[in-house]
Amino acid sequence: MKSIINGQWSIVALMNMLALLFGLALLLWQPLQVKAADADLKPGDTIGPSNWQRIQGMVGENFLNRVKAGHTIQIKEPKINRPLKEYVEATEKYSGQVRLGPNGELLNYVAGQPFPKIDPKDPQIGQKLAWNFFWRWLGDDYKTGGAVEGGKILRTAIEKGGSERRADLVSYFIFPRTRYTLNPKPAIPGYEHIDFMQLRIDSYPRDSSGTTSLEIRYGDPKRSDDLYLYIPSIRRIRRVTTTQRCQTLAPSEFNLDDINSFNGKITDFDYKFLGEKKILANLTQEKFPFNRKPGDYLPLDEKWQVVDTYTLEITPKDPDYCYSKKILHLNKVTYDTHWTLMWDKKGEYYKEQFGFFTPVKLSDGREVWSVGTVVITNVQNGRTTLVTANRAYNQGYPPSLWSLATLQQIMRGGSIE
Amino acid sequence: MDHRTKIFPLYFLLSLFIATPAHAASILGGEWEKYLTERVSFSGFFDNTTGLSIGAGDRHFHTTNRFIMNRFTFQPELNVDVVEKLKLFISWRFVKEPRYNAEARSRRKTVAPKPVEPLDNTFYDEDSFKPWEMVWDYNPTGSLSIRLGRQFISWGETDGLRLLDVINSADLTFAPSLAPNLFDTDETRIPSWGVRALYTVAPVTNSILEFFALPGFDEAKQRVDEVLGSNDTADGRVVYGRWSSHPETRMPFGRMFTNGLAGRSTIIPVVSRILPDAGDNWKIGSRITHNIGKLNFGLGYIWGYNPQGGDMVFKLRSISPGPPTTTIANIQLINDRTSIFAGHFNYAVDEVVGIPFNTAIRGEVAFYPSEPYNISKYPGNAFRAGPHPRHPDGITEKNTLRYSLGFDRSTLIPFLQEDPYRAFRMSFQIFQRIILDHEDGIRAFSTANKIKMVSTNFTFRVGTGYFGDTILPDVFLFYDPTGYWAANPAVTYAPSWNEKIKITLTAAIYWGRDKFSFPGLLDEKDSIFLKMRYQF
Repeated sequence: MKSIINGQWSIVALMNMLALLFGLALLLWQPLQVKAADADLKPGDTIGPSNWQRIQGMVGENFLNRVKAGHTIQIKEPKINRPLKEYVEATEKYSGQVRLGPNGELLNYVAGQPFPKIDPKDPQIGQKLAWNFFWRWLGDDYKTGGAVEGGKILRTAIEKGGSERRADLVSYFIFPRTRYTLNPKPAIPGYEHIDFMQLRIDSYPRDSSGTTSLEIRYGDPKRSDDLYLYIPSIRRIRRVTTTQRCQTLAPSEFNLDDINSFNGKITDFDYKFLGEKKILANLTQEKFPFNRKPGDYLPLDEKWQVVDTYTLEITPKDPDYCYSKKILHLNKVTYDTHWTLMWDKKGEYYKEQFGFFTPVKLSDGREVWSVGTVVITNVQNGRTTLVTANRAYNQGYPPSLWSLATLQQIMRGGSIE
Repeated sequence: MDHRTKIFPLYFLLSLFIATPAHAASILGGEWEKYLTERVSFSGFFDNTTGLSIGAGDRHFHTTNRFIMNRFTFQPELNVDVVEKLKLFISWRFVKEPRYNAEARSRRKTVAPKPVEPLDNTFYDEDSFKPWEMVWDYNPTGSLSIRLGRQFISWGETDGLRLLDVINSADLTFAPSLAPNLFDTDETRIPSWGVRALYTVAPVTNSILEFFALPGFDEAKQRVDEVLGSNDTADGRVVYGRWSSHPETRMPFGRMFTNGLAGRSTIIPVVSRILPDAGDNWKIGSRITHNIGKLNFGLGYIWGYNPQGGDMVFKLRSISPGPPTTTIANIQLINDRTSIFAGHFNYAVDEVVGIPFNTAIRGEVAFYPSEPYNISKYPGNAFRAGPHPRHPDGITEKNTLRYSLGFDRSTLIPFLQEDPYRAFRMSFQIFQRIILDHEDGIRAFSTANKIKMVSTNFTFRVGTGYFGDTILPDVFLFYDPTGYWAANPAVTYAPSWNEKIKITLTAAIYWGRDKFSFPGLLDEKDSIFLKMRYQF
């Protein structure tokens, strides 16, 4: 500006003026670009307040607003995960016999991906995508938190004002009727009626440490989940109903159906295929938890890649359900969700969730993938919850781990392995 | 032991814990550092509870500021995964109530002539290095687990009150009754040395066999009950605890055991308490649990010494002449051996005739064969209750059935919440005691009040969280249809900037038409408390 003051136009001043004119032109041009995200994002591209339009529709609205306000992200080389050989074999072996029942239930399912051939013109494609999501490969069992230093899930609740609270926990999953690697296969005898069992143990802070839940999901679509809770302050197991699935699992912003993006009973919802879409995701998270400013959820050093997804709209059959709709973006290969968007009963934008993934190794050295950090933001109250939950797969846990006897052995802060 | 000497170990331990983390691993070397990092975890809490009486107090408690509690608790806890199948958990509990010195002085000045005395200054303190809990968990197979050491064993399904949860005794000296929001059962229950084994027969149906044996090595703690009768007066002392009731509730109960010697109709009760020796102190129990569909249930049996205060009885041992016109009734306070046939169930009800119910139903039942009760006959001498001619020792035994039924549900009440999906947890419970083959004159040992054939209590509890669970209100209510109430409202602040801190403001409030019955005898003991906790 010094040169202008002096009455002379330097090259720098000229460049500034051109940039200003270009910016004005861009502002006028923007409305045309509102729904046209840039599918040609290249590794090395940087997206920020000046070119946020390039990722519009590829991330959640709240995240996009943060980019508009100054956050920048970088695009990296895409990483494509490939299904495990055993899962592919099971899909080839059993998928031919799988059918949808009159109420959308899955018939004749044994293991693998139920519907490997997706036809956009199929009137039942939504329901089939939902089942593909539900039966995506998640190992035969896994310990969440098992692949992080310290072996714990790290959960941080961030208030609107930026204050934070931490909690540590660990969880164990088993899929007793869809086993691909560990014997017995494909199902543990006696457990053919159980889709999955989850054991979740809080370990920090001290007063909640030892709080343990045992959740059992049954294959029978009419049977609700069983949930038992061991409460250390009374040292007893209490039965909990699971039909109130909308209740907030405070202080987090998750509810029972938000776990793993969508944890509802498949047959309790209707599904609509909205099309295919490229979105931004991170399949190679580098730090656990990722670097961020205190009080903020935005990942600072992580890069993003473009991923091909199916967009699936989920609407509840129950008119009193907390979400009027939920949209999942399902990875076309693995059926994991990268972005999940939720609207409240009034149809107003409510929550958005993104999940990073990371490569992990099986005990035989093969590389698979695990969720890394998941972020859920309630855009209405401004609170965010981050969960860093890397998985260690195929640990060979005995099914007896998921029994009430385990709950009776929990000590304060203790592990169960 | 000198007072300062006693608390020195506490300071030493504190300084050790504060100084240790930064250096220990590097001093011990890489392997130890790895072991300590991966297999050892350390936690615990510091706690301060301050209580103010909002009732009128009594003649035995005239401190000017009604400052009834200032309790510091430090509880370090250590978990060690020794090897793959063996774990160790140890905790210690250190308690200091510096305020009690003032109370003891106050009582000494104001209390009536001997044998009434204040408690020792250090009565509520706990400064022993004996572990509070110390258990070895050994899991030789996926199906069998064995827990050895000083431990808690809690059966049952109830919330706030205990029915089947009678395997460990509870310390009722420092905590107010019916106030689970102030001290939960984990803080009041006393661990016992013993062994417990769980064998999972069929995990998919939760078919589990359980066995425990507790030899009862622990020494008994002096009682400071709510009423005079519970005190051991044979040593010439009567001690009043924090929750000792208003003096008029202490009634002369000796006349219910004897009419006295000829010409000596005034009865002076002299109470002694002989605690069972280790041989009598054994407790053994076994249980099997199982699922049928959505129903989870268990059946069990407990045999042994019954430590529950409410189940004690007086037994007339002898009478002897006392001062002129008086007879001394030597009465012993006893806990009998007990057999308890126990059962529990829980069941989740999603809907009833198509209407959403969303409620977990749970129940407990305990059958006590030949449970002892004190008994008297009315009218005795001078139209007052007197000894029962068919029960010369003042005791009768009756089969007794106790059960509870509880209903738990989470309910969304959007107009009462800033987050419409933060649920209110509600719990409603019914407790009943039925004395089979009931006789008129059966009385509670402690208040000498009559016990009807059927006694009923109700509890209701509701809790929720506001502002991301930084404000946590919880209300516990107790109701006895014969005219008694208790309320324990609480609100906890859990700051959004530090998960280690919790501050709870709570009150213990009692109403009762009759100060001779529970909880009416606590009617003038209404108090408020501030509890501050730092967890690490």
